[in-house]
Amino acid sequence: MSAAAPALKTPPAPAVMTGARLLVSSLERMGVEVVFGYPGGAIMPIYDALTGSSLKHILVRHEQAAAFAADAYARLSGRVGVCMATSGPGATNLITGIANAMMDSAPMVCITGNVPQGVMGTDAFQEIDILGVTLPIVKHSILVRDAAEIPAAIEQAFHIAASGRPGPVLVDLPKDVQFAETAAPFGFNIPNETIEADPDAIAEAERFIRAAERPLIYIGGGVKIGRATEALRFFAETTGIPAVATLNALGTVPTDAPGFLGMLGMHGARAANEAVQASDLLIVMGARFDDRATGKLAEFAPHARVVHFDVDASEIGKLRETHVAVGGEIRPSIEALTERLAAAPLTIDPWVIRCASAAERHAARYDAPGEGVYAPALLKQLSEMAGDRFVAACDVGQHQMWAAQHCRFARPEAHITSGGLGAMGFGLPAGLGAQMADPDAIVVTIAGDGGFMMNVQELATLRRYGVPLKIVLLDNSSLGLVRQWQELFFAENYSEIDLSDNPDFVKVAEAFGVEAFRIDRRDQVEAGLARLLAAKGACLAHVVIDPKENVWPLVPPGKSNAEMMEGA
Amino acid sequence: MIMSDTIHIHIDRADGSLQRLIGLVERRGFHIDGINMADEGAMRRIALTVRGRDAARSIDTLGRQIDRLIGVARIQAQTFQSEAA
Repeated sequence: MSAAAPALKTPPAPAVMTGARLLVSSLERMGVEVVFGYPGGAIMPIYDALTGSSLKHILVRHEQAAAFAADAYARLSGRVGVCMATSGPGATNLITGIANAMMDSAPMVCITGNVPQGVMGTDAFQEIDILGVTLPIVKHSILVRDAAEIPAAIEQAFHIAASGRPGPVLVDLPKDVQFAETAAPFGFNIPNETIEADPDAIAEAERFIRAAERPLIYIGGGVKIGRATEALRFFAETTGIPAVATLNALGTVPTDAPGFLGMLGMHGARAANEAVQASDLLIVMGARFDDRATGKLAEFAPHARVVHFDVDASEIGKLRETHVAVGGEIRPSIEALTERLAAAPLTIDPWVIRCASAAERHAARYDAPGEGVYAPALLKQLSEMAGDRFVAACDVGQHQMWAAQHCRFARPEAHITSGGLGAMGFGLPAGLGAQMADPDAIVVTIAGDGGFMMNVQELATLRRYGVPLKIVLLDNSSLGLVRQWQELFFAENYSEIDLSDNPDFVKVAEAFGVEAFRIDRRDQVEAGLARLLAAKGACLAHVVIDPKENVWPLVPPGKSNAEMMEGA
Repeated sequence: MIMSDTIHIHIDRADGSLQRLIGLVERRGFHIDGINMADEGAMRRIALTVRGRDAARSIDTLGRQIDRLIGVARIQAQTFQSEAA
């Protein structure tokens, strides 16, 4: 060989490689660093090709955890989360996680192996039509029938997952496609089509806002997803309009910011729900009028006209009549609206004062009697001690609502929760995924004793990879939120909610090699939280709480948000 | 009065695209009273006659939900009113 090779005039011909290798190379080219997965027969060529790649594969202990972890990884990092599983049971185990990502619009690419094309449709071993099974719960899905299409399919999958309103995309790869050898080019660079907001709609929104006496910002998860957090904060500060947030939007406006009234809805803050009911204009930012937010829809915000900003046109007018619709990417729309409104201040002082005094009047109290641990106070203290690096990865149940009501969130990424799907078992794998996304964050899984057991096996994954996740396990020895509803709405018929034969959670954690200790009394909380947060590695605080403690306030199911129940 | 709508859709022929479309329409609360389909090269032209299961179902919302499916190139809806039989 001569020392100086001539400069290439044409790009090199693509190298011949297997479909499996093409897939791994495609993921590397998309900038993927972490993949959560679990191998099996129909995806073995891909696992073979992983060896020597730059991808860090996290071997979970159940595929559902791979999907939940990829989802949380995406929510914290803003990048597409990736999970993979084999055909049949591996693929079906992903389903709850795929649905979770769909409901909360998290960008995720799920790669499944499948049986060879020749036996697809013959009930082959571990064959499931996963593309068909997942159709209702994916943003899109692609069955790759030719290895040469893999780079384009992966690039398209990532583009679809992350663009517009994000969501999960399934890529199904039959085993023969993984084995096939082919040469295929990379680098299609799908252009981003951003839809510009209609300036007339923004001008109309301004007219409605200026005409309103009691305007209110109703913040949804779409603001964070649209990378419009700063724009929304500036909008709220500039205009002085009070704001409420959905479960998935907590932290978009810092929870301790003036003018922020809290979460709306079933377990929302009284000041937030009162403001919605009194408002004459709802400025809806990337929210979808979910029934847990609205209560009885016909009586929700009965005096309000609606200005709705959403990148997903199909959300406009879906459940509530919209007077002004602003489509397109939410950030430039908010910025344009702020600019218009900054020209002259709004005259809404009486309304702002009314909202602020309601917030003060209805502020949560933490002086519950007794010596037992009061979970809302513990969670508030946890978030304050952890500070601005705090990220809560919540499971589903009473603890989830207490976290939403009482934790301090400085940014929307700090609150990772299964909002739309409400999937128990999310907390532990979500904490794993979040901690992988940001090793410097103080990630705390907040779980109950019910949901924790649904993915308890992931303690082994924490141990294996040295993930320093912190876990606050609030144990009321029951399925607390179900118990609460049985108490209130099913004549205290406590059916199948008793978990008083739970294992010793400290011993369980220790058996997995995870440090653990117990908090039984209120006077142990501060030292316990300090120990938890100071732990170098993964650590679990098993917190024993009163099984009779309920989540207040509460809008009974099917009732108006004006009818909030309060505990004794 | 029965309201029925015919939705004309131009959609690609990728694996699952027909199921994806039909499943969406039924899942979002519409009866499908008629399907007409013709292949046009890499695309399919489909006409669906649909009826909401209850008065709350909006054909406009359904149209936007179909429109956001990947692979749908064009969509157009027509509304018909007829006396109940």
